[in-house]
Amino acid sequence: MITAERKPMEDLIKFVSPYRRILLVGCNECVTVCSAGGRKEVALLSSALQMHFMKEGKPFEIKEMTLERQCDPEYVEELVPYIDQVDAVLSMSCGCGVQEIARRFKEKPVLPAVNTKFMGASERQGVWAERCVGCGDCGLARTAGICPIARCSKQLLNGPCGGSTRGKCEVDPDIDCAWQLIWDRLKALGMTDKYEENLPAKDWRPARGAGPRKIVREDLAS
Amino acid sequence: MSFQKRLLSGEFVVLAEMNTPKGVDTSQLIQNARRIKGRVDAVIVPDMDDGVMRMSALAGAVLMHQQGMEALIHVYCRDRNRMAVQAQLLAAYALGIQSLVVVSGEEICNGDHRDARAVDDLDELGLLNAVRLLEQGTDLGGSDLCGAPSFTVGCAIAQCRDEKALDRELELAGKKVEAGAKFILSPPVFDIRRFESFMGKAKSLKTPVISTVYLLKSVGAARYIATNEPEAGISEELIRRIRKASDREMECVRIAAETVAALRQLSQGVRIVTLGWEHRLPDVLDYAGL
Repeated sequence: MITAERKPMEDLIKFVSPYRRILLVGCNECVTVCSAGGRKEVALLSSALQMHFMKEGKPFEIKEMTLERQCDPEYVEELVPYIDQVDAVLSMSCGCGVQEIARRFKEKPVLPAVNTKFMGASERQGVWAERCVGCGDCGLARTAGICPIARCSKQLLNGPCGGSTRGKCEVDPDIDCAWQLIWDRLKALGMTDKYEENLPAKDWRPARGAGPRKIVREDLAS
Repeated sequence: MSFQKRLLSGEFVVLAEMNTPKGVDTSQLIQNARRIKGRVDAVIVPDMDDGVMRMSALAGAVLMHQQGMEALIHVYCRDRNRMAVQAQLLAAYALGIQSLVVVSGEEICNGDHRDARAVDDLDELGLLNAVRLLEQGTDLGGSDLCGAPSFTVGCAIAQCRDEKALDRELELAGKKVEAGAKFILSPPVFDIRRFESFMGKAKSLKTPVISTVYLLKSVGAARYIATNEPEAGISEELIRRIRKASDREMECVRIAAETVAALRQLSQGVRIVTLGWEHRLPDVLDYAGL
């Protein structure tokens, strides 16, 4: 999933201060799962903003909505009946959703309420960790299903480095050394011969080497 | 007189662009440089121009210095993060480089190492700001320097598709000037009237503009630019002139020289770009009366 964290309250207050009527829009997908911008977070942020402006004695109206997916035009269309009634949109989705709203409603200011962080997985309740950088050329078959690009601090293709100590990374002892994880898993799979293969310099073209990326499925594209 | 002094005193400056070799054989570069020594005010050494891996600009500039010629280098952040680029700037100053041109690097996908990863840590404004901070004795990390460099920094204006794009580019150039750019390199000039109109707009920047002259090397090259960059202003008449010449190569030299001569009245300097034909620079200078 795409993970996100809500921006600090003072930033959001600064964002919305120039406006009187705000449409606060959450998303039912990734940001709901990582508790950053789902229905619940929309309600909490809405109350917090209302309380702040009420305390300041400033007129402030906020309408809450949570779309199924903010990155999908058909769901963003649901905002049409409300968009003219507000001065700006505050989006609690990842950057994809914010930009989809901006694309659809060209005349309306759209503000991000969360910081989009990374593509990750839930390690345990309330903890998400980076797993994928979207490099466009998945090499997990060669590294026992553990990505050194996303999980090694130095993005080493042939690791570990000298900073790996007892399975931890020198950057932060809370970070597992990706290459230790790869080695342990190769051992468990009886595939340690894979470790002997030197991985060549990565071809970064699929990773954005030719600018912003796009997928076009001719069989589906209209 | 140094490039910087000529620029400040409002005198016409002549710059020649010279690429470093793709390899370690510098004999051609040095030979070509010697041919124009004393005839140009400085040499501009691009850094892996067009995204083609070559010897670094810094090395090229030092080689020019060893020949007793002043050199400016291109600096950009496609391949270097803010640490590497600051280190490069300190090294450049320590090795005698006093002038820089902050440019944007060619896209990796258009170069000869297409599988490489671009860095793009700072944009041109960010880099100009870094230069200014270094000059003030501080690096981007906030630490004090043991000895601060001092540069004459320029920037470049890209070729623009239309007037609207040019206006945006000039606005950006204004920001670059505010960030410390002391001179501006124009896009290549093939049409003097177009350049006059460009200068009419660029006047508002109140910064010396150094015009750029490309040596067209063939009918094919002229046709290619005319087709792919119509905004460059290469006319059919110009292409016909090259095509009909008995010595096309010399005709290209004459065209470049005529453009250089015409630009003497319109800009504060000229950058002559010979695109691999640096051995023809003396001819261009001869015909231009420089």
